[in-house]
Amino acid sequence: MRMVYLILAFALSSFLPSAHAADFGKVLGDVIKSTTAGGENKENAPDQAGRQSKKAFNLQAPSRTEEIQLGREITGNLLGAAPLVNDAALQKYVNQVGRWVANQSERSDLPWHFGVIETEGINAFAAPGGYVIVTKGLYRRLENEAQLAGVLAHEIAHVVRSHHLKIMQKTQLLDLGADFLGKQLGKNEQLIQKIIGSGAEICARSLDKSAEFEADRMGVTLTVRSGYEPYGLPEVLQAIGQTAKDDDGVSLLFKTHPHPDDRLRQLDGAIGSRLDGIKDGKTLAKRFYRLKSR
Amino acid sequence: MNACRFWLLLLILLFLPAVASAAEKGNALKDDILRAEPYSDAEKTGDLQRGEKLEIIGKKGAWLHVKTAAAEGWTRLLSVKRGTAQSGSAIKGVLDVASGRAGTGKVVATTGVRGLNEEELKNARYNESAVKKMESYTQTVQQGRRFAHEGGLQAVQFDYLPEAGQEGEK
Repeated sequence: MRMVYLILAFALSSFLPSAHAADFGKVLGDVIKSTTAGGENKENAPDQAGRQSKKAFNLQAPSRTEEIQLGREITGNLLGAAPLVNDAALQKYVNQVGRWVANQSERSDLPWHFGVIETEGINAFAAPGGYVIVTKGLYRRLENEAQLAGVLAHEIAHVVRSHHLKIMQKTQLLDLGADFLGKQLGKNEQLIQKIIGSGAEICARSLDKSAEFEADRMGVTLTVRSGYEPYGLPEVLQAIGQTAKDDDGVSLLFKTHPHPDDRLRQLDGAIGSRLDGIKDGKTLAKRFYRLKSR
Repeated sequence: MNACRFWLLLLILLFLPAVASAAEKGNALKDDILRAEPYSDAEKTGDLQRGEKLEIIGKKGAWLHVKTAAAEGWTRLLSVKRGTAQSGSAIKGVLDVASGRAGTGKVVATTGVRGLNEEELKNARYNESAVKKMESYTQTVQQGRRFAHEGGLQAVQFDYLPEAGQEGEK
């Protein structure tokens, strides 16, 4: 019995947390290879001196431009997996709602971009620099503008708090690899590719549970600040929570996020009676843009 | 006149299923109080016990009007786990009733579709023209403000919600 636990523990430890480490380990390997291949010796390993040299791309403290560049690359890859829904009115509408909600955040300076992609799976993604993507499957489930605002606000919160950037930074490779890889290649594009891995796999990575709960709390807050009915996001979570866990339409979402029921419970604890004073929030169901196709 | 009545009847018939499906099932996520009106200081009409089955008969802002076996009243939206398909999906509701699933409290909706999987994400190839297209819809701060104004939205001062149990009452 104990053995089973041991094996299980081992299996878990070797699969779950190291998934990221493995990716970055591979990248690190590539980085080292590319440095040593050029006839460089060990003195070119990332040391203090190396860090102080001119940086091509600094992920530990990226500039606004670098952050946008990184997010743009990730978004381009994601759009390679599923194209934008070919409906200009829809895309414009989502940008209008998103822009207004983002205005209420600390990062209203970013050139926020929003998009709906052509997949029936239920999910939403955020990338550094203000890129936010919602799937058509999720959009289809929304009933009014307050709910859309709630979903976008959750993603905006991820960007504002740099949740995805932090995950990349955590591995340390970024600073390390970025510094001397930048010197070697001098090309930000190649460097970014190393950082984000292949394709849009970074979009399938999980954040800490606490980051998701934080984004939910901030999402509700931003919805309130924007003048909407505060319960847009919780309502969407309630609807998604009714979907079976093994349903393919939500499998990636459920794999990378805490269960909607847990998220609702956390939100309930955080909200308590704090929203009792919010009376004039709007749902704007009439203005909500409905999809043309079923 | 008759034509008018006909259209009215048709309208009523069209909206009837939506009204019927509003009587959604659910259960209580936690112990809470049922109140006569959707306000925290309204008179108490009964108790809600965690796990208790209920029927949702109305909604107003953050409050749900529910009916349990013993009582009826308003309770907070987040105290309830909704147990059937999303409201508005009248057909699904009807199907649930027809298949006898509606009363089990274990009804789960299915999407019946395939979402993006990890493999597809990993193999995705960068698409520059798609990013450009997405960026072409970008709105400015001012455009966002104008859009909000058109909808009658007004910015509200409100602090970020703290983590549960971090200061203040629960």
